Amino acid sequence: MSEDMPRLTRFERRDVDVALTYENGEEYNVTYDDLRHACPCAKCSPLRNEDESSKTLRRQIEALPKEKPQVRTVGNYALGFEWSTGCSSGIYRFERIWDLANRRDPDNGRPYVHGAW
Amino acid sequence: MSDSPVTKHGANSGEAPAMASPQEQKQMEQAYAQMKRKMSMAEIGKRIKHKVMVLSGKGGVGKSTVSTGLALALAQQGLKVGILDIDITGPNVPKMMGLDGRRLHVESGRIHPAQGHLGVKVISMAFLLDNEDTPVVWRGPIKLGAIQQFIGDVEWGDLDYLIIDFPPGTSDEPLTVAQSLPDIDGMVIVTTPQDVALLDSRKSITFSESLKVPVLGVVENMSGYTINGKAAPNSEVQIAGPAGKTLKATTNEDGDFSITIDIFKEGGGKSTAEEFGVPFLGALPFDPGFVRGGDDGVHRIVSEPEGPSAIAFSAVVEALQAQIVDAEQPSLEII
Repeated sequence: MSEDMPRLTRFERRDVDVALTYENGEEYNVTYDDLRHACPCAKCSPLRNEDESSKTLRRQIEALPKEKPQVRTVGNYALGFEWSTGCSSGIYRFERIWDLANRRDPDNGRPYVHGAW
Repeated sequence: MSDSPVTKHGANSGEAPAMASPQEQKQMEQAYAQMKRKMSMAEIGKRIKHKVMVLSGKGGVGKSTVSTGLALALAQQGLKVGILDIDITGPNVPKMMGLDGRRLHVESGRIHPAQGHLGVKVISMAFLLDNEDTPVVWRGPIKLGAIQQFIGDVEWGDLDYLIIDFPPGTSDEPLTVAQSLPDIDGMVIVTTPQDVALLDSRKSITFSESLKVPVLGVVENMSGYTINGKAAPNSEVQIAGPAGKTLKATTNEDGDFSITIDIFKEGGGKSTAEEFGVPFLGALPFDPGFVRGGDDGVHRIVSEPEGPSAIAFSAVVEALQAQIVDAEQPSLEII
């Protein structure tokens, strides 16, 4: 978790990416493909554990039609995205979006281990 | 006569209006009552600023203790708080709030909640039972009606927080509430550190996605039991802990020492929260005073407002409040 993460104030959906504006005035872009590839849900996360399955996930996402998602706030700690195709289950904490904005691995290199459901 | 359930108003029929049968009238009355209740639920939703659901996957993790503790810790801040005890088959919030044996006041078809410690308003099935040993054996639709009545027909007044205490598991009660009560802020998942409870709380977190209600955070209850004692000053004390572990502490100059025993395990709630990317609100100590307080009807937070449990609860409440979206806060602009 980033202690010095500024508050996200603006989330502008554009054709193929989102423009993020933070409280300190800094602006970042994250492509929808990057956003979707970093989906933190229990279905998508394990696919990023291995390079091959991660690449396959990436190719599947890139093959999806480009679309602007519906965005909803989750509490005051995260955002959820509703896509008409593909996975919409992930809850993206603001820290995760901040990592993506800064081109950092939002999983911090840790492999995902399934919950025991 | 027409089959229509409504009275016919023919302009030129020349006949007297056909009256609905008693059965049809009953159906219309029920539909009217349902409509009135829905309007009432929407109105109640506006008068209660924040609604928080308290759930757990497993029973016996202290969900009602956490619900009442959250309510009282919020009330200690001077906020107006209510508790809705939806656990129809095992309602025990009234006992913990010192309201055992109390009856509800009904006036003009509206139910008035009982007031417990620190002015917390309480609605529970327990108030409607003639005998506390009588089980409530209801099928789904009757349960659903009772829950809707508890939401729509209660005169809560203006509240800052409504804490809703559910039975354990992912049954239809949370679903009914989530569909009936507008603008629920989110849910708090209560767990204990052992694997079986954590397994079930993972289900609750996944369940929240189906309900479209955000998880405000995970609370780990019965997290550790702290023993305080005295021994020779500046000496080492050893205690036989669970699983054959030896716990050590060093006494201070006055000979006081303190050791926390993790009766179940430790940190399970936090790691589950991290695994699912939801906030961890804090850990509450194992405190036998809750059992005594629950039995005597004097909640631990009331009997010992400066005690370790009350301090732990206020830390959890602080973390909870940090997660709740405040309408007055500058919000995120989504374009």
